[in-house]
Amino acid sequence: MGYINAIIILAGINIIAALGVAILTGYTGLFSIGHAGFMALGGYFSAILVKEFGVHFVPALLAGGLFAGLTSFIIGYPAFRSRLRGDYFAIATLGFSEAIRLILNNTREIGFIKTGAAFGYMNIPGHTNLWVVIGAVVLAIYFAHMFVTSQYGKNCIAIGQDEVAAQMMGVDLLKTKLLALFISAFYAGVAGGLLGFYFAYLSPSFFTITKSSDLLAAVVFGGIQSLIGPVVTAFILIAVPEVLRALAEWRLIIYGFLFVVVMIYRPQGLFGYVEMNLHFARAWWQRLRRPVAER
Amino acid sequence: MTASNEILSLRNLTVDFGGVRAVNDVSLSLQRGEMVALIGPNGAGKTTIFNLITSAVQPTAGEILLNGKSILRKSPDQICRLGISRTFQNIRLFPQMTAYENVELGLHSTPHYSLAEAFVRTPRARQIENDTRKKALELLEMVNLQEYAHARAASLPYGLQRRLEIARAMATSPQLLLLDEPAAGMNEDECNELIELIRKIHQQMQYTIIIIEHHMAVVMELCRDSRIYVLNLGSLLAVGSPQEIQNNPDVIRAYLGERKNARDFSAS
Amino acid sequence: MELFIQQLVSGVSIGAIYALLAVGYALVYSVYNFTNWAFDAFMAFGAFMAFVGISSLFMPFWLAMILSILLTILLSVGAESMAYRPLRERKAPRLFMMISAMGVNLAVVNIINLIFGGTFRKFPVESVQPIFVGNVSIGRMDLIAGLISFGVLALLWLFLYRTRWGLGIRASAIDIQTAALMGINNNAVAIIIFVITGVLSAIAGVFYGIKYAVYPMMGIVTIKAMIASIVGGLGSLPAAIVGSMLLGVLETLVSGYISSSYRDLFSFLFLIVILLFFPNGLMGKNVDEKL
Repeated sequence: MGYINAIIILAGINIIAALGVAILTGYTGLFSIGHAGFMALGGYFSAILVKEFGVHFVPALLAGGLFAGLTSFIIGYPAFRSRLRGDYFAIATLGFSEAIRLILNNTREIGFIKTGAAFGYMNIPGHTNLWVVIGAVVLAIYFAHMFVTSQYGKNCIAIGQDEVAAQMMGVDLLKTKLLALFISAFYAGVAGGLLGFYFAYLSPSFFTITKSSDLLAAVVFGGIQSLIGPVVTAFILIAVPEVLRALAEWRLIIYGFLFVVVMIYRPQGLFGYVEMNLHFARAWWQRLRRPVAER
Repeated sequence: MTASNEILSLRNLTVDFGGVRAVNDVSLSLQRGEMVALIGPNGAGKTTIFNLITSAVQPTAGEILLNGKSILRKSPDQICRLGISRTFQNIRLFPQMTAYENVELGLHSTPHYSLAEAFVRTPRARQIENDTRKKALELLEMVNLQEYAHARAASLPYGLQRRLEIARAMATSPQLLLLDEPAAGMNEDECNELIELIRKIHQQMQYTIIIIEHHMAVVMELCRDSRIYVLNLGSLLAVGSPQEIQNNPDVIRAYLGERKNARDFSAS
Repeated sequence: MELFIQQLVSGVSIGAIYALLAVGYALVYSVYNFTNWAFDAFMAFGAFMAFVGISSLFMPFWLAMILSILLTILLSVGAESMAYRPLRERKAPRLFMMISAMGVNLAVVNIINLIFGGTFRKFPVESVQPIFVGNVSIGRMDLIAGLISFGVLALLWLFLYRTRWGLGIRASAIDIQTAALMGINNNAVAIIIFVITGVLSAIAGVFYGIKYAVYPMMGIVTIKAMIASIVGGLGSLPAAIVGSMLLGVLETLVSGYISSSYRDLFSFLFLIVILLFFPNGLMGKNVDEKL
């Protein structure tokens, strides 16, 4: 039971971070390979608040998300301001997350706070349990859904489909992209916080490119412009390697091949362009009810 | 006509692209409510003029005034909010969105409620969304696309995509509408429908319209009572009524350089 | 002063390696408008193949280098024909191209990791005495790496500007569709470009491996090359070289005078500062999308 608990908790945390990547990469079309960096920022920040300053862990999680979100502007602003899309930003995210990891790796202490450099930040109070994670996942899905179906979210989708046309139709590219990035980093930050409160310690080695690739994989396999897709795949991608240990070392190789295969044969992913909404459910239901001959 | 009625003024616009002068000292003035056409052989710089007006390209020299105020160095989205909207020569709809969503985007490219309201969707926000939905459907109806509202934009036939682009451009509530080859690839019937449509929106919405078009029949019909600007090799070659343009020897010579257009031209 | 000159030489030699990589990125970017994320895997692959050639097949250095170049060309062209061409042909969005490239990268790096393990290996070349110029010692390998890199770049320049094929590539960089209409075979251009990419990444991989170490994740250094090509101006070859030299020298000075652990941090801050003040890079043009 404890083992299943652990898998669900880790999968839940992965889902929250993947939702962040979904909003940024899946909806807004901005390629991120550095979300591990935002997880690290949020994780350390909220852990420090709780352990060193005695803050309750819920506001600490939110503060960690906020911190990650605000820091994201350091790369977001310069990268989005220049007109070339995508590439600058993707490189900046990768550089940023590596920089964060390097800083953490070389920082033994910040003032009186012993962050422990490469050994990790120890003795974080363990607040994350199954119910906390389930609650957080439900809220995360709810708010992500509210966002992507709002006028703000639809502007993000427009940018993802044709940035130039979106701008010509009046969408403020800089503001909208920064907003998507902020929310996305916020999600990753909260996920990082939950991770720290679960393991009771944080190490820079949690937040490597491998972690970022995992998150990207959830979105690529789950589908562009979909929330349900990344949620399902984020869960599968944690659960399957845990269950099939033998697969562990092959995991990234398989991901790599699947990236190519998915892009070539099913670029919309498992659930691409499918919204978790009633409209979809209704259409599906009507399709089912129609006589087979008409289908 | 008083100067205060002038909506758009291009003054001595010049653009160089790496040594090539794409637009050369072009001036043009438009009164509110006018519909004029911009014609010329391929590569004459017509689309570049639209790109200049919408700030997709910055001029090397010259000035662009909207309602008497300079709009140079503004971003394309600011230009849109100031009331200039356009369609594209190579259609640029949001391909995976439905027709309805494409139009809706033009309506809410500047969201009408706060971010906090977006997350909790207050009754006010829902009301705003309902209003937006109604308006989007109205616009679709205006261009006769209501039955395709929930079809993916990319799946629509070419002619309908062009009409959808017009509806999307209208959604940003422009004062000035720039139509870049709206009749491209249309047959005669479709052209006639398009003429009807453009006339209708011109009158009902009181837009000022500039239209770039190769179908001379469409141009001559739409600009019956106004002017046509002829562009050749980046420079303004002639301005005048359809009759004047048709009989202008310079224009005919410029067009004879290009067989296909010359045929179009004589056919009208 | 001696230290400064030593650092400068070392910076130029690492800059030359960055330049090889940055030019590879710029070449692909200028024609296909996407960043070839698989490049770092090619580089690690090249380094490992030379490593195997020397340590297991007992080849001399130059032969191992040729082996590595040939195999990396195969990998590069293979990736292009299997992972990129199908997407290019149906004009898929750039995001898809990037994801596909990322996939190639993940697969290749992790296959290397599976076969060789994640450990750092010393490249099996005998360490040679540095050359002394006065009191300044200059690493022989730094010198060789710098010279060969510049030689390769010069050859590439000759190829691009003095041959018909080069002309075809440059035409494709301006407008690939028009180039195709004018009778340039797009697939041939792609193969040439990815052959060049393979050569560049293999050489860079070997020299980088010699300078530091050979390990599966060594390709992460290509992020420096990307930074360099952004600093110079994306999509332009001379700009990529200038950016690389600048970054190589600056970061070597930082690690020499401040601390080597802040070297990578510096490169990243440098990128942000450049993007803030020169949004198109130092020498880049403002690139507008065609409407």
